[in-house]
Amino acid sequence: MSVGKALAVPGDSIFVYDGSFHGFLCCVYESVYSGVVPALIAVSGDAPITLYAVNEVETDTEKAERVLKSISKKISSEARNLIETVFLSCLKEKELLMLKFLLRAFREGGRLLTRLGDPDVAPLLKAQKHLLGEAHLLKGFVRFADYDGSLAATITPKNFVLPFIATHFTLRFSDENFLIFDKTHKAALVYQNRRREIISVDNIDFPIASEEELQYQAMWKRFYNTVSIEARENPRCRMSHMPKRYWENMTEMQD
Amino acid sequence: MELMNKLTILTDGAKYDAACTSSGADRPGKTVMAGCCHSFSADGRCVTLLKVLMSNNCIYNCKYCVNSASSDVARATFTPDELAELTIQFYRRNYIEGLFLSSGVVESPDHTMELMINALALLRKKHNFLGYIHAKAIPGSSPELIYRLGLFADRISVNIEMPSEKSLALLAPNKTKESILAPMRQIKNTLTDNTHALAQYKNAPKFASAGQATQMIIGATADTDYQIITLASALYEKYSMKRVFYSAYIPVMENSLLPAVASPPPLLREHRLYQADFLMRQYEFTSDEILSEDTPTLNPYLDPKCNWAINNIHFFPVNVNTASLRDLLRVPGIGPTSARRIVTARREGKLGLDELKRIGVVLKRAKYFIATKDNTTGLRLDKHLTVRALIDPKIFAFNTEQLSLFDDTPISPALPPAGALIPTGSGMLSISEAVEEAVLCLSAKL
Repeated sequence: MSVGKALAVPGDSIFVYDGSFHGFLCCVYESVYSGVVPALIAVSGDAPITLYAVNEVETDTEKAERVLKSISKKISSEARNLIETVFLSCLKEKELLMLKFLLRAFREGGRLLTRLGDPDVAPLLKAQKHLLGEAHLLKGFVRFADYDGSLAATITPKNFVLPFIATHFTLRFSDENFLIFDKTHKAALVYQNRRREIISVDNIDFPIASEEELQYQAMWKRFYNTVSIEARENPRCRMSHMPKRYWENMTEMQD
Repeated sequence: MELMNKLTILTDGAKYDAACTSSGADRPGKTVMAGCCHSFSADGRCVTLLKVLMSNNCIYNCKYCVNSASSDVARATFTPDELAELTIQFYRRNYIEGLFLSSGVVESPDHTMELMINALALLRKKHNFLGYIHAKAIPGSSPELIYRLGLFADRISVNIEMPSEKSLALLAPNKTKESILAPMRQIKNTLTDNTHALAQYKNAPKFASAGQATQMIIGATADTDYQIITLASALYEKYSMKRVFYSAYIPVMENSLLPAVASPPPLLREHRLYQADFLMRQYEFTSDEILSEDTPTLNPYLDPKCNWAINNIHFFPVNVNTASLRDLLRVPGIGPTSARRIVTARREGKLGLDELKRIGVVLKRAKYFIATKDNTTGLRLDKHLTVRALIDPKIFAFNTEQLSLFDDTPISPALPPAGALIPTGSGMLSISEAVEEAVLCLSAKL
């Protein structure tokens, strides 16, 4: 990758790609080799109507792998990790922010990542923290129900957290079969016969819960309501630790 | 349903225990080393473990306890099978991280311990349970049983109950200081031996790998904050405690020795004690730096770290570009995470306020105590502004009575006691007026 070339000035075009991680890496490739920094990188279909010239970047696995390798080699494996994580986050205009970071990091090297307060670095670190934070919360907040011996749960996270909670749940339930359905991103983590994969799926119809399942749900609700101390009631404290947007999938928060 | 009833009674009896962490255990299948909260109850406390009693059918008569023999409550006892099955089913549904098992004393301490051990053995052996188990050892039970309990549990604890021997004798006549300290000492020694054994033999049986903890009740007796944190500090040092928990006394029993049943629990005081505890565990403060015999009470308006800062103003400003990690940790508003980030980020260039903000350092309080690249001498202290920024906004979340609950001994020579600031009864000052008063008093100190 050419490093000596002057940083490109903001161009008057936008990049459109297929939404895959490889597709994004090809946008990086395109920008480095053409010297154009687009005004926006959008997923085809979601791109706004603009007066800018639209550059449709094609996904090419070979180019993508070259970019990925050079990130590890010329910047650091930490930077690669950051890019892979932020790509799955819900950060707005994440593609352009990641591109700007990469263009600088290719010149300045891995040291850029220790500049935690730099305006090109801080937003990415924040997005990464947000994603990992949500993944951590969900390790606790996911609620399974037992359907004939298999476990199933639904989540509605802001970030695409399934890859970040997969290992935790497969270790925890290594002898079970289970499924976690991410309704927001239309994907599911499926673990069956000791093999796990993340598949894309539009919707999942859960069967009706058994009598025994309903009993355990009722006992869990009873425990939850009993363990709280009335004299210490503090709804604001509860809300800040367990934001309301998670409640819809939690057994104990349903009437 | 029979089991539903038992669950209700035995949860109700266990809920006043404060500890509910699951950190530090090391088992296959446990990937979250730090604690993992599964829910938060309406009182804002984290729900991590199925916190229940084995039985509330207690023969002891501790004056502060809902389950004491003379108390008029419904009684129940789990069978080991019921408890094991319930734990497994809750664990499978990801409701909980494990089990927190305590108990009233049924028949005798040894009999109670045997019941608990049977339940844990079922869980670990029959159900292959890999989750977390925190068990309370019963004071007065035989050392052999405590050892067996520790082989199944990740953490084992003995409640110290009261901050002083005098209070213990007064309120828990069936328990003695020695019956509590003996098992603590045993656990500590076994833990040390176990670490050595594990270093030599990989398959040595693991004993309570997450260490031991304890808990004491705050506000039921006249013990001062200074006594409490000095005791806590000694417990950390002498008994290698992982945690000391403080539980604001909630008056549930009518007794002339105790606060009246209608009085609110001293939550603000409990909050301040936890803050002081954190300073000792994670900020390298000693108990003597936080309080002394002359000022034995924690300041209700300021958290203990701000209070230290105001009393040691000569220590500041701390230069964020050169100070050691330990000194950074002394700045109000800078915690372990921020301090570590500052140390990393300053390797690649000097830091100013903008950089600090983007790193995620909260400057509301810190800015009065630091020197940065844009201001190498630090802000000139505006007394009123500083104090206003330091006053803990959380005190608004507690009601005004919380402030007046503090001991009437003056917090510092310059500051009138909080209790005196707010006359109880109908002519009560509003909390904002009380804060104004505090601002004046505290800024006079600077």
